[in-house]
Amino acid sequence: MSEQAAPGKLAAQADDAGGVLTKLIITALALGIAPLSSYFLSRDYLWAGNTIYAALTAIFAANLVLVLYIVGAVREESRLRAREKQQSESKKDR
Amino acid sequence: MSVCPPYAPFFGFAGVASAMIFSTVGAAYGTSKSGIGIAGLGTFKPELIMKSLIPVVMSGIIAVYGLVVSVLIAGGLKPTDYSLYAGFIHLGAGLACGFTGLAAGYAIGYVGDSCVRAYVFESKVFVTMVLILIFGEVLGLYGLIVALIMNSRASEAARCP
Repeated sequence: MSEQAAPGKLAAQADDAGGVLTKLIITALALGIAPLSSYFLSRDYLWAGNTIYAALTAIFAANLVLVLYIVGAVREESRLRAREKQQSESKKDR
Repeated sequence: MSVCPPYAPFFGFAGVASAMIFSTVGAAYGTSKSGIGIAGLGTFKPELIMKSLIPVVMSGIIAVYGLVVSVLIAGGLKPTDYSLYAGFIHLGAGLACGFTGLAAGYAIGYVGDSCVRAYVFESKVFVTMVLILIFGEVLGLYGLIVALIMNSRASEAARCP
């Protein structure tokens, strides 16, 4: 039984592996771009030159990227679990 | 003793460099140490990899803190009319951010490693891991806040004669 399940598992893993890589690349880029851009843009346009508020905005942006990543990871796991449950239920119907 | 010696920018630039260098060392330690645990987890449960990468993302944020402080301090450096007072302030701000980032990265590395290894067996460890990681990252945030406060005092330095 496990030999039959292994190719299906491999295919599912390959399907998810691409998703993990793209999510990671997007997160890494966002972690680099978002704080710096929010620092400079907020310093010039939002806070009228006040650097402390601009740095706090940059910190907020970096932590926002982190929170979005955590939310995305938790949602992906629940989506994977729902898919697995669906597959096991369809096997039971057979 | 002059208020604005010519070697004053040395300390300012040392502050910029140390903020970036030490926080990156901490982030590298956190990334690598937790990466060991993630590699161990990946061989048993590959579907948990996305959630177990959270320590790596948090280590990246420690490096971002160092980057923000470096950019902040570098924005206040001047070739002339730069007093030794401002130089020491910038050095202190850079060191504060850098070494707290080192400490935070260290904590994130150890916690990330052992918690993702435990996450293979017990899924309730996830929330605990995120909580402990947040407390570890806040250490770097404290250093950044102190660096911000110190850097804001540099603008009140005396004019050079």
